[in-house]
Amino acid sequence: MQAPVELREVSFAYGSGELRRLVLREVDLRVAPGEIVILTGPSGSGKTTLLTLIGALRAMQLGSARVLGQELLGASEAARVRLRRRIGFIFQNHNLLGFLTARQNVAMALELDGALSERERLARAGAMLEAVGLAGHAEKRPAQLSGGQRQRVAIARALAGAPGLILADEPTAALDKQTGQEVVRLLRDLAKGNGVPILLVTHDPRILDLADRIVAMEDGRIVHAALEQAR
Amino acid sequence: MNEIPAPAALLPWAPERTGEAAPAPGPERRAPGALAQLGLALRLAWRQLRADRARLATAIAGVMFACVLVFMQLGFKGALFDSATNLLQALRADLFLWHPLTEASFRPERMPRSRAHQALADPDVAQSIPVYLTQVTLRNPETGTKRAVQVIGFDAAAGALRFPGIEQVAGALTRPDTFAFDLRSRPEFGPVARLFRERGPFPIELNGREMELVGLVEIGPSFGADGNVVMSEVNFRRVFERRPSNIDLVAIQLRPGAEPAAVQARLRALLPGDVAVLTHAELVQKERRYWEEGTPIGFIFLFGSVMGLVVGMVIVYQILFADIAGHLSEYATLKAMGYSDGYLARVVLGAALILAVVGFLPGFLLCLFLYDFVAGATFLPLVMTTERALGVFLLIFGMCFAAGLLAVRKLRDANPADMF
Repeated sequence: MQAPVELREVSFAYGSGELRRLVLREVDLRVAPGEIVILTGPSGSGKTTLLTLIGALRAMQLGSARVLGQELLGASEAARVRLRRRIGFIFQNHNLLGFLTARQNVAMALELDGALSERERLARAGAMLEAVGLAGHAEKRPAQLSGGQRQRVAIARALAGAPGLILADEPTAALDKQTGQEVVRLLRDLAKGNGVPILLVTHDPRILDLADRIVAMEDGRIVHAALEQAR
Repeated sequence: MNEIPAPAALLPWAPERTGEAAPAPGPERRAPGALAQLGLALRLAWRQLRADRARLATAIAGVMFACVLVFMQLGFKGALFDSATNLLQALRADLFLWHPLTEASFRPERMPRSRAHQALADPDVAQSIPVYLTQVTLRNPETGTKRAVQVIGFDAAAGALRFPGIEQVAGALTRPDTFAFDLRSRPEFGPVARLFRERGPFPIELNGREMELVGLVEIGPSFGADGNVVMSEVNFRRVFERRPSNIDLVAIQLRPGAEPAAVQARLRALLPGDVAVLTHAELVQKERRYWEEGTPIGFIFLFGSVMGLVVGMVIVYQILFADIAGHLSEYATLKAMGYSDGYLARVVLGAALILAVVGFLPGFLLCLFLYDFVAGATFLPLVMTTERALGVFLLIFGMCFAAGLLAVRKLRDANPADMF
């Protein structure tokens, strides 16, 4: 089976001419179906840039990147927008729409799917919220929820569209230790149940043990890839 | 509060739960139809607008402000031009002659009386009567103050020049020193019509001379004069000592079945260049054009309307801009989720158009009330026409659309790559 993420000799630079700054140097990375990979490294090591490239949020410059079967080098803006619909994003901040309820926020991930009716969307969003343990909070707005609950709504939103890949950036940064671990464990369990791979960028040492594999980056290169033993 | 469900929760459609195969991860999805997308974008825009009541109220007030301003400016403009042409509008005849140099009825250029007789040479002209126009003062019978009034002198019994009420007073007007008063004149002339109805004919001072009021007609005040007075040609010449050979207007009545356009062409060929042959519509149009183009009035109202639209646009733009700027990370998140720039632009434009509708409706209702109120207070004929309502709605719609287009540029700052 084809790997959901397959990078070959990906290089990326910001700026041009004198100011050109190389942030990724010939990175190779492969994520297997259902695999949970944690990307770590000091700030400026290029891990966030790598994540935005894989998430089709930035245009590729050099190398090859196949994500969910789509080659990203030279992909058009429209093709990248289409690919993003098949990826679940979880950000450092929950970034929920404040004027929508938790259920409506999750349903936003489904509004791009023309096959679903409004009722099906809301029903599926409700089921997703139930799966993240927020059954009683579906009609609350983000302002009425705690930080951990908001991040769980964000997880429900990322998973609602049945994505083929989940990309997360410091999902625990805004949470305390206990809540952070619970949220990531929840994310892992939900993804594992469906065989969805997760690529997670973090500095947080408390959640490293949840990964199948830890990839360390430094100065735009992958320096160390440790295979975790199955727990 | 952060309790996790005891058994590791599964996705609702996980194979472990349903016994079926999991959906293939990440298939290409069919996008919703264009109409459905537009509906969803509009709904998202409305939900966002609704969330901040204070901001929504400000935006609606801004649109209403523009709406009321434009409606009132157009209303005043229309009313003033309508009332400016009131006198000529009321005077009905088949054809008119007047001096080509005459710009407006309140300042007519005189022409020789013989032109009225020459017009009779055409076989289809039944009557051709001279009309005298001037402005003098009329003394208010109650308070004694004097005010300018338009005087129209012509042979009322001939029937060539028609307006409401003239037939009833034509007989009485043939007596010396008599006149009829326009009951729609502004109230500053005093309760002349009421007094006449109560006690019948009574004397009033016109141009420093005591004359008898013998009847009422209906014409309406205009720009040039607050009221109108009608008298016979003979009385006019005696009271104002006008030389009979200098007349201001000729009213022509055609024989039944005659073609006005054909007669007009023949008269043009027949008469010398010191008279213009006009139909009633052309006469009114000429007078209207004088007020529209020969005075700054049209420009003043246009300027007021444009200012209203500009202020309204700035307010709507500010509201939309603040909405985007305050939710940049949310917009960026939507882009990361696969919403295209075009979709988000439709959300912003949708918000603008919603504001146009919810601001226009109360503005329109308020203007209906204001039109009534102002018409009652000023005697200006302010009327809401369907065309004007539609036209202003389109203007407001365009205003909001332009504001939306300006605000959409701010969406570029929502870059999903910066979210990580």
